Amino acid sequence: MLSTNYKIALVHLTSKLKQTVVAVLGVTFGISMYVFMNSFMTGVNDIQTTLAFTSLAHVRIYNDGPANNTNLVEKVYPTVVSNIRNARVVQYTEGIQNSGAILSLVRKQPEVTGVTPQVNLNVFFRNSGNKVSGVLSGVEVETENKLFNISQYMIAGKWNDLKVQSNGLIIGSGLASLLSVHVDDNINVLTSDGFTKNYKIIGIFQTNVLGVDKSKAYLNINAVRQLLSRNQDFVTDLQINVQDFRETALLVQRIAPVVPYRTESWQMSNQQLEAGSRLRDIIAMAVSLTILLVAGFGIYNIMNMTINEKIKEIAILKAMGFSSKDVTTIFLAQAIVIGMIGGLIGMLLGFIVADVVNHIPFKIGGLNNLPMAYYAHDYIFAFLFGLATTLVAGYLPARKASRIDPVNIIRG
Amino acid sequence: MNTTPALKAIHITKYFYEPERFQVLKDLSFEVRKGEFLSLTGKSGSGKSTLLYVLSTMDTDYEGELLIGGEKLTGKTQNQLAAFRNEHIGFVFQFHYLLPEFNVLDNVMLPALKLKKKSRAEIKEKAYGHLKLLGLEDQALKPANKLSGGQQQRVAIARALINDPSIIMGDEPTGNLDSRNTSIVFDIFRSLSHSQGQTIITVTHDEDFARNSDRIIDMSDGVITG
Repeated sequence: MLSTNYKIALVHLTSKLKQTVVAVLGVTFGISMYVFMNSFMTGVNDIQTTLAFTSLAHVRIYNDGPANNTNLVEKVYPTVVSNIRNARVVQYTEGIQNSGAILSLVRKQPEVTGVTPQVNLNVFFRNSGNKVSGVLSGVEVETENKLFNISQYMIAGKWNDLKVQSNGLIIGSGLASLLSVHVDDNINVLTSDGFTKNYKIIGIFQTNVLGVDKSKAYLNINAVRQLLSRNQDFVTDLQINVQDFRETALLVQRIAPVVPYRTESWQMSNQQLEAGSRLRDIIAMAVSLTILLVAGFGIYNIMNMTINEKIKEIAILKAMGFSSKDVTTIFLAQAIVIGMIGGLIGMLLGFIVADVVNHIPFKIGGLNNLPMAYYAHDYIFAFLFGLATTLVAGYLPARKASRIDPVNIIRG
Repeated sequence: MNTTPALKAIHITKYFYEPERFQVLKDLSFEVRKGEFLSLTGKSGSGKSTLLYVLSTMDTDYEGELLIGGEKLTGKTQNQLAAFRNEHIGFVFQFHYLLPEFNVLDNVMLPALKLKKKSRAEIKEKAYGHLKLLGLEDQALKPANKLSGGQQQRVAIARALINDPSIIMGDEPTGNLDSRNTSIVFDIFRSLSHSQGQTIITVTHDEDFARNSDRIIDMSDGVITG
């Protein structure tokens, strides 16, 4: 019985090939657009993430400054009203003191892929009369590169030269042009404590994150410790990367209680990035579902037309003893075939469109062409959504067909 | 001829509600014997077609009781009735109503494929047998809509016969045919009822056709007048 129903469905599909092709095209466009939109949005999100993580680690441990202990009287005697003006906080430790112990603790965590110590400080970069405030970052050359891939953004000089040249400085491209300096020129660095020292520019980087390029300079971590007269354990920031940048919460939960400094994930410090990425996902979803919905209406229309054309045949089938369920099966099977074929071609077309768009030049913010991501789950979801749409769009007319009263049709 | 009732109608009453309430069948009771060739006649509007569709089990909106082969059909669900029709009733309509996208052989085989009591090969053999009997074996693989009206009607008869139904019902089966084809169809019906013992109930306008059948039920204004 099933095979008979399917045979009838097949004959219906193949006898009106044009209609079938139009219906299949509807699904194809819907699904290919779904695939394309999602690949594009995911591509944009991935690029955004990559750009963000050129200067941002997944988790950061740093000294958040002293707690607010300006009114100790109220802390000890909560009911007493006291007023202290111009409080001075005497005991204040700068930076992370026991960085070696924390480093080895962090390295033992299974999901950690890299950790690098930094000594960051705000300084003035000076070239004769030009003064620009910025951040001087003392880094461990190899681990820093492993986390942030800085060597890839070098536009002059070599990143690894930082390791051997203790007075060598690598500065951002924006900072270089603000100070009108080039590789091999010297600039002067002035710290907030009043120390000054001359450094030689050995490289220029460009991350395309404007704020970073205009204010940041890298120095070997030991050279910065020397500048600050600090010991070999002194660190201001520990930057940690994990396997999946989305999964930082567990690590933070585990480390934060045992480390006497602030442990902060990128999500906590950069919620706007997360929001942007989510919003783009929602837009992609809304647009592609709308397209699928339109395709669904197309299928609904075509199936309805088919059923109106075949209303006499349906009546005859019922007179001959085909049940309502058989009739539903016949027409639903057609919708499913249309959905399947449209889905398969749609995935292929979606891939082609994505690939073409991926090759369109787009030279802003360090990009060369439009970003695109190719993930299997985008394709699978597109196919499933397409199939679901055709099922609904096919079921309604099929149910209508199954309810046809043969007496009314045959008697005219 | 034996006298077991093939079909029994008890107090069949039916109303039309459009455009206004109107009693189209008025308390009809009768029996049809097995192997009987029965003609339903009457003017248009007499209710004969309406009666046929009630007897066919397709129209369930009536009062009274209908039994076919001793089985009570009143009150069964549409899907049960569809299965019953598939096995026990063959239909021949005025407008042949073949499935135009299928070839002649597929059209004939369809009700048997639905019934699924025989293998495909057996059904095919049987369908060829019927087509041969009706002089259509060389048309078997043509699309149904490429045949002439008389040929299509014979295909419809072959389709009605494929499951060996106990009753064959015809709604003006010769209404669209010329006199030569009419007599062919009549002869087929005659031989089915007399040699195969299949009961035949047809609605017809054709007086010759009716006169030559075993029995006439003549209707007027929803009652049997003869």
